[in-house]
Amino acid sequence: MSTFIKDFIERETVSRRNFLFAAAAGMGAVAVPGLFGGGSARAALTDPAIAWSYRDRASAYWNSVVSGGEAFVESLGKPKSALVSLINEGSTEKSLSDIKAFLAKNNGNCAIACDANDSPNARPIVEAVQAAGAYVSTIWNKTDDLHPWDFGDNYVSHMTWSDEKPAEQTARILFEAMGGEGGVVHLGGIAANNPAVERLAGLKNALKDFPKIELLDAQPADWDTQKGAALMASFLTRYGDKIKGVHCAADNIAYGVIEALRAEGIENMPIVAYDGNPEAVQMVMDGQLLATVFTNPHWGGGISAALAYHAAIGTFKPSEEPKEHREFYGPTILITAKDAAEFKAKYLDSVPAYDWKDFWGPSNGRIQYKA
Amino acid sequence: MTRRLSRETMIKWAPLLVLIALVIFFTALNPTFFSLRNFARIAIAAAPALMVAVGVTFIIVMGSIDLSMEGTVSLTAVSFAFIFAQLGGSLAGLGWIAIPLVLVIGGVIGLLNGLVHVKLKIPSFMASLAMGFVGTGAAILLTGGDIVKVSDATFRGLLTVRWLGFPLMVYVAAFFLFVGWFIQTHTTLGRNFYAVGGGEDLAHASGLNVTRVRVTGFALAGVFYAIAAMLVVARIGQAESVTGANFMFVSITSVVVGGVALWGGIGGVWNALVGVLIVNVIDNGMVVIGLPDFLQDGVLGLLVILAVVLSTDRKMVSFVK
Repeated sequence: MSTFIKDFIERETVSRRNFLFAAAAGMGAVAVPGLFGGGSARAALTDPAIAWSYRDRASAYWNSVVSGGEAFVESLGKPKSALVSLINEGSTEKSLSDIKAFLAKNNGNCAIACDANDSPNARPIVEAVQAAGAYVSTIWNKTDDLHPWDFGDNYVSHMTWSDEKPAEQTARILFEAMGGEGGVVHLGGIAANNPAVERLAGLKNALKDFPKIELLDAQPADWDTQKGAALMASFLTRYGDKIKGVHCAADNIAYGVIEALRAEGIENMPIVAYDGNPEAVQMVMDGQLLATVFTNPHWGGGISAALAYHAAIGTFKPSEEPKEHREFYGPTILITAKDAAEFKAKYLDSVPAYDWKDFWGPSNGRIQYKA
Repeated sequence: MTRRLSRETMIKWAPLLVLIALVIFFTALNPTFFSLRNFARIAIAAAPALMVAVGVTFIIVMGSIDLSMEGTVSLTAVSFAFIFAQLGGSLAGLGWIAIPLVLVIGGVIGLLNGLVHVKLKIPSFMASLAMGFVGTGAAILLTGGDIVKVSDATFRGLLTVRWLGFPLMVYVAAFFLFVGWFIQTHTTLGRNFYAVGGGEDLAHASGLNVTRVRVTGFALAGVFYAIAAMLVVARIGQAESVTGANFMFVSITSVVVGGVALWGGIGGVWNALVGVLIVNVIDNGMVVIGLPDFLQDGVLGLLVILAVVLSTDRKMVSFVK
């Protein structure tokens, strides 16, 4: 008998025994948390642990979200480190397991803010949080049929940003700069991402009022600067001088577009972007970009943590709030050449001190679902 | 004998034929594809990827694999941007010192990579993948997630100054391609890569210090990744912790499509060049002929499989893993 087969049989025999042991251990593990009474609805928590669950630290966006969360915990008189970062690296499984681990570690005494990474993942997260008697606020990703009011007080709120209207505004600014005629190309985000879909839809809405503007092409540049540069170069080959304006779904893409045009010696092409990153705001001031849109991630990060925390300690009772306080749009600020300097001074040069108990002041109305 | 020879010749030239066929195909569907300006655009996109591909070619020829390129490119790009800014932010001033420094940093990262692989006896794909994560992590630590701009007009001249229709960065890449070719064919080290890749036991038994060859190979690859990083910064004027993203897929695909065998000992830098051009011509061509975007990823995948089928000699392989 070859050693391979011998080893195989041996391993299989052993693994059957191990399986029985593992099964017994697993049953025990399932039973144990029940002993501690997770799942029973609890009244207000005292001094809950605070966490933010998000994608990564490699982007200005999430760094800004976390800085808001940190500003909030500091406003409670705690050190920055009191905010626990649960980084999912773009993995839905990690997102859920990190949150479950956090709930278990603190025995449900938690206030969590999170972006569930993808829409279907929001439900298991919210269910796990409710079962542990903790409190959660979500941003961006959730399915349309999942609502905070279906979970009593534990699912405090959901905030998202509607990008369609601001993207339409940037498109109008672009078309007017083009003199109302000529060809335009759109470089989008990852095709299936909700913001990418909405930002393209905004452009298409604006097109209806500008019959002489032709949308030559719209393709995904995956939120990536290098992909943006390569795609813009290919567009130049295909459409050449017909391109009179560029609509970008993100600042990062616009940086690539500007460099692709620089390589060809093309200057003064009208370009609009989205996200309101500091570099892009500077470009608006320098005239390289016509407009970008700021979604105030710092405030979003702080207020999501604040909502979960204050619901947890009983400052307010979520189930007694109207629905527009449980599902709402975050703020969007359009930045153009005339207000860029003022915007930079107000939001970027020094971070404004927010009142973290003014939960809904800067928000933008109740979320509307498309039928 | 002659039939066998002709088959080998066919396979040797197949990647180039695939490239020519692609160019003819895209030109037929949109004649503007075949223009100097478009070739320059393809060359700009291909130049950094070519440097990564040349670096990883040495490793693959040795029969190992290096997956650290994304982290190494990000870290060296960010290091370059910071050192360049520290030294005055101008190539005309002291800024040029950043270039050799970053080449050394790339080499050191590669050296560590090789030492982890050889000394700790960790398979190269795992050791290098882990080192890649370390590199990305270090880049995030340095930047805090922010973008570092490099706007010096002299340095950006690599992109904006053209000679015979092509930006200077394309000539820089071409120069280092020749350096790669020289190392491959005219140095002992280059021949040793093939000896290790063709039969490590034999090379070892013949008295070759396989350990040293492997470690040197990884260090050399690191230097090429650093060159790629600087070309990326020249191309987009910024460095960040995601600068190296996508280079793993593009470079490994290119090298394999170009006809370098993953089991080692076969192929070289010219295959890397043809492979990188094939991938970039497909990328550019699909947009230029107006292929709908939802088909592009699928078509790229199919064309890659087709190119590998046509350009590698799979008859010699008993089983594939």
